[in-house]
Amino acid sequence: MSDLKQHKDAAKSHEEHLREKHLMLDPLPRGKMNEMVMEAMMAPPTWKWWLVFTLLAGFVVWGLFYKWGVLITKGQGEAGVMRPDYWGIFLVNTVFWIGISHAGTFISAILRVFRSEFRRPFTRAAELMTTFGLVQAGFSIFMHMGRVWLAYWLMPYPNQRMLWPNLHSPLTWDLLAITTYVLGSTMYLFLPLIPDMAMARDRSTGWRKTFYKILALGFRGTEGEWTHLRNAMNIFAFAIIPVMFSVHTIVSWDFAAATRPGWNSTIFGPYFVIGALHSGMGAAIAVLAVIRGTMKNMKYFIRPEHFDAVGKLMLIISMGWTYFFFNDYMVQWYGGDKWTRQLLHFHEAGPLGWLWFVMLISNIAIPWAILWNQKWRSTPWLVATVGIIINVGMWIERYVIIPISVTINRMPFTWRMYTPGIEIPMGLGTVALFILLYMIASKLIPLIPVWEVQEGQMAHAFKKFGRETVVTVSELE
Amino acid sequence: MTDTKIDTKIVDVLAVFPDLEPAANAIEQLRTLGVHDDCMNVISGIPVTEAMLGRPHQWTNVPRIAMGGAILGFLGAVFLAYIAPFLYPYPIQVSTQSFIPGPPTAVVLFELTMLGMLLSTFLGVFLDSLFPNYRPMKYVPEISDGKIAILVECPHADEKKIMDALMKTGAESVRPAEAQHL
Repeated sequence: MSDLKQHKDAAKSHEEHLREKHLMLDPLPRGKMNEMVMEAMMAPPTWKWWLVFTLLAGFVVWGLFYKWGVLITKGQGEAGVMRPDYWGIFLVNTVFWIGISHAGTFISAILRVFRSEFRRPFTRAAELMTTFGLVQAGFSIFMHMGRVWLAYWLMPYPNQRMLWPNLHSPLTWDLLAITTYVLGSTMYLFLPLIPDMAMARDRSTGWRKTFYKILALGFRGTEGEWTHLRNAMNIFAFAIIPVMFSVHTIVSWDFAAATRPGWNSTIFGPYFVIGALHSGMGAAIAVLAVIRGTMKNMKYFIRPEHFDAVGKLMLIISMGWTYFFFNDYMVQWYGGDKWTRQLLHFHEAGPLGWLWFVMLISNIAIPWAILWNQKWRSTPWLVATVGIIINVGMWIERYVIIPISVTINRMPFTWRMYTPGIEIPMGLGTVALFILLYMIASKLIPLIPVWEVQEGQMAHAFKKFGRETVVTVSELE
Repeated sequence: MTDTKIDTKIVDVLAVFPDLEPAANAIEQLRTLGVHDDCMNVISGIPVTEAMLGRPHQWTNVPRIAMGGAILGFLGAVFLAYIAPFLYPYPIQVSTQSFIPGPPTAVVLFELTMLGMLLSTFLGVFLDSLFPNYRPMKYVPEISDGKIAILVECPHADEKKIMDALMKTGAESVRPAEAQHL
């Protein structure tokens, strides 16, 4: 009898442990969750918030807009780009930001398709990353245009001289792919936001009420509205995945389609995609840690289990990146082409060889050393630090691929080390703008999709198999 | 002499339930009272499937609109990839490269087809849900707090009977529905 009691007590404490650990097993009334999210969003900013906001805003104005004005007024000579490095940091940043944007789609589309339940509380934070990342990518492309006011020449329209953009060029594919991705991911961000905007509308007054009312579009939650929304979200979840793959593949073709040593590789497409996911997941986990650490009530929604789950994905993606990196390296090295060998030697032992090693340490050694351990993986600040280090590594990877790789080519008389100039503050300005946009969003948009969390909590239950209590998930759709 | 005038006025009743179970029971009860499914609408703060409440299948045009958009996007891509090159004052032939090459054309076809599909899916939600709609509507804010509401359209003569039935099945509140600005 006492054995049975002991077993029951153990089962009860096991259930309690599971509840504490998993958000999906620890439901609160919906009204309470709404209140928590609204409180987090509407809490008046502290002086620290304003300080960071002012510094970032100042940096955006100076680094991004003022310097850009200087670049436009004085010309591209202000930047360090010159033969053979025509693209420099501008394109490094473009590729970097497009990579960052991939995590949003990965988390909210691929994990949605595979019904990964842990995704629920942070899909919106990740989707925002896609949109905000693509804004920075767009800025980085436009910065690089000498005459940015003529950007519309890329658009296919019947013009006076009957000239059409060359749709057989990878740069025009970029335009099509990035436009599709920006529009697609923004719409995909907005659709699941509508019910949360309606929730915020029902709980706010003044200008906020008007703001949420406009964005809620009159949503009430009727059967029809949910059906249309659910269908659209399913279509988006499936359709945006190939678009996501295509975007970074096409970005990789900007390089791979050229017969340059180091670039002309058939695996550049998947190598770029996995690299994008690598940096994107790293950035996503850092954003999650900041949201959890700085916003009220977020510790309920974002728990160590989420860091553990994303940490596992980061580890797997890091292994994938290593595989593609080595595959690309191995085949080029084995090929024995004179220029390629010279380039590979330049990567490792040239004046910037140390960057190549920092890249490998940041993208492989550090993630592998830390993320294998569940306890470390579940420690928010530690995983977030790994995420930031991965991003440093991935930025360097793009630096190695773009300015460093074009230094060595088949025309030695053009060899020249690239020294960035005005593009450094401009690039840092995009980082400042990215963080600034998140700060503004955290005060205007419910960062937690409450209805998705509640839906997930409804689907989870405990079930007894003999004397063992296990967690089950029902398919509600 | 009895009054034979029939009350034909139609009214709306809004009942709010704390959970799915009583709401599902209420729907069954309404059916037994002769209320047709078309005269009921469930409003909820999370997507409740038709099967959970025993409701008929909800029709949506979103997939069809998405398909239409994909076709339009594809046709736009066909124009850009196959027709636009001939619209130059003179064709631009680059060395021995084919004038309309296959693989690059596939990229254009794919991207614009997907763009057409995504844009039209988004538009489909707006068209099917009649968004944006800022007119007064029958709604209570408790719905976004997780309550399930049933909006019933019935003849004025049956209003009392229906309100009683809804109350008996576990509604937290039952009231005549009034349109209000959200």
